[in-house]
Amino acid sequence: MSLPSAHLFIQTLILGILVGGVYALMASGLTLIFGVMKVINVAHGAFLILGAYLTYLLFQWFKLDPIISIAITMPLFFLFGWLLQKYVFSRIESPEQTSVLVTFALALILEGLLGAIFQTTARSVTPSYSTATIILATYRIPVTRLAGFVTALVVLLILYYVLERTRLGRAVRATIQDPRAAQLVGVKISMVSAFTFALGVSTAAAGGSLLSMIYTFNPASQGDWVAKTLAIIVLGGMGSLPGALIASLILGVMEQLTAIIVTLYWSPIVFYVFLFLTLIVRPQGLMGEVIREKG
Amino acid sequence: MLKFFRSTPGLVAILFVVGLISPWVMPNQYYQHIIVMTLMAAVMASSWNIIGGYAGYTSLGHAAFFGLGGYLVAWTNTHYGWHPFISVWFLSLIVVAVALVMGWIALRTQGSAFVVVTIAIVFIFRLLALNLGSITNGANGMTQPRPGWGGAQWSPELFKIPFLYFFLVLLCLTIFASWWIRNSKFGLGLIAIREDEGKAESVGIDTMMYKVLAFGISAYFVAVAGGIYSYLFTYIEPGFVFDVFVSVTMVLMAILGGRGTLWGPVLGAFIMQPLSIWVVGAFGGSSIHLTVFGGILLLVMLFMPQGILPAVSESLNRRKQVQSPAQEAK
Repeated sequence: MSLPSAHLFIQTLILGILVGGVYALMASGLTLIFGVMKVINVAHGAFLILGAYLTYLLFQWFKLDPIISIAITMPLFFLFGWLLQKYVFSRIESPEQTSVLVTFALALILEGLLGAIFQTTARSVTPSYSTATIILATYRIPVTRLAGFVTALVVLLILYYVLERTRLGRAVRATIQDPRAAQLVGVKISMVSAFTFALGVSTAAAGGSLLSMIYTFNPASQGDWVAKTLAIIVLGGMGSLPGALIASLILGVMEQLTAIIVTLYWSPIVFYVFLFLTLIVRPQGLMGEVIREKG
Repeated sequence: MLKFFRSTPGLVAILFVVGLISPWVMPNQYYQHIIVMTLMAAVMASSWNIIGGYAGYTSLGHAAFFGLGGYLVAWTNTHYGWHPFISVWFLSLIVVAVALVMGWIALRTQGSAFVVVTIAIVFIFRLLALNLGSITNGANGMTQPRPGWGGAQWSPELFKIPFLYFFLVLLCLTIFASWWIRNSKFGLGLIAIREDEGKAESVGIDTMMYKVLAFGISAYFVAVAGGIYSYLFTYIEPGFVFDVFVSVTMVLMAILGGRGTLWGPVLGAFIMQPLSIWVVGAFGGSSIHLTVFGGILLLVMLFMPQGILPAVSESLNRRKQVQSPAQEAK
């Protein structure tokens, strides 16, 4: 263990923020779905990995750039999410108690299928710029990380626009704030739920595409991503999008710093430590309501 | 006499006798393996049921206690030669102590948030097991000497029988503990917490104390099972035991049989464990067994969330009502 120099510290800070942006995109769908439906979608990690494999296939077959493939994977996942909500999740009684188990079942089904098709080999998508770095005022910035960060921001901005400016988006926000009042003023909850779930799952497609070029992945790695994204939304305040963004940046930076100061192997512990600290000190997270709700 | 066999001690006695004879009726090693694993699963599901069923807190963290029990046994066996069949009973008390601390933190949350925290517990222990290489040997896992007693190894043909008997005794103990809790004031308090925690608190139940205690007790038998599991396979590895999947198997078995009932988790284990061993065997090294398991979990959650035993007793009650309409429904 050694303290990094100022240069290394700033370098790490930059990498942490870049990673944090991607985490924010990955966690956005999870927190959105919880906000509207009170469903903790444990299958979110499996959706991310599914998105990563889809991007991998598109790259292998058509040499399609992982960022461009988002334009294909996102609509597909939107449809997938809509159907899942319509035919599976809408049937669940008392989602707060059973949603974790139902979504865990979904995650297992996907992990098993992906494992049968792709085996456990670690894969990644390697576009021509995958090893390139930009040097900016003596700081090295990997192109994939920068591209991932920018793409994540663009997708998050689109998400923000949809939620702020469209009728359906306003209905979603109203439902997060007060489902009963939203219903009274004519919001159709079933419609909003389907839309939110589809939107949340489609962000996993984009997140998965970015994941595929920044990290290596195999079917079993879905578990690690669930743990990370869950820690983010608990720290940010479950159901809060701005909270998820701030938490992602904090955890991204802390993770990179741990990797430098301690070792890479210990860096995931940051997520769990923050998760526990949040629950002890401030159960409602950075932003958001108290999560001591009775499930 | 008939009445005795329908009471809990009677049913446990039947289970015990059947278990005692089973290896001599079925000398086939593969069947004995299935019985050993099924008894172990029944222990775990019944133990989980104390916090998950009676108190209604869906813990997905119990894999951590399973693994911790396994590692403690593996470590003390290789370093000090402590025989697991004896040491596991008190080593598991260490696991209970850990569980009490974890529970004290995790049980501040409820509902889905609690599930998330317990998932994190498993990940923390996996990370510890992977990174504290000097103790746990990291991702390579720990091996133990071949099982035996007093310097002599058990012969390959009779090798499973001590384990079968161990888990049989453990299962009987677990069922008695669960039965005792269910009929005690403590158990009533847990059920009150499940039904309405706010009200339970308002009638003077120290809910936090009750929950943490139930969490600790339910960790005990799971830890004992984990310890003997690592001895049986003489090998333990982080990814194998510290896996949320291990917790979910306990949950599925308990829910399938009837969460919160005494015999439901045992029934669920007796159905699910032979089935999953068969599925794993049928599909070889492929991961498709995860899909099958997930599919069963999904179907149970969607179509039979209350479980087999409650569904059966409900339909029996309904029939009774039809026969004697004067009798008032419960």
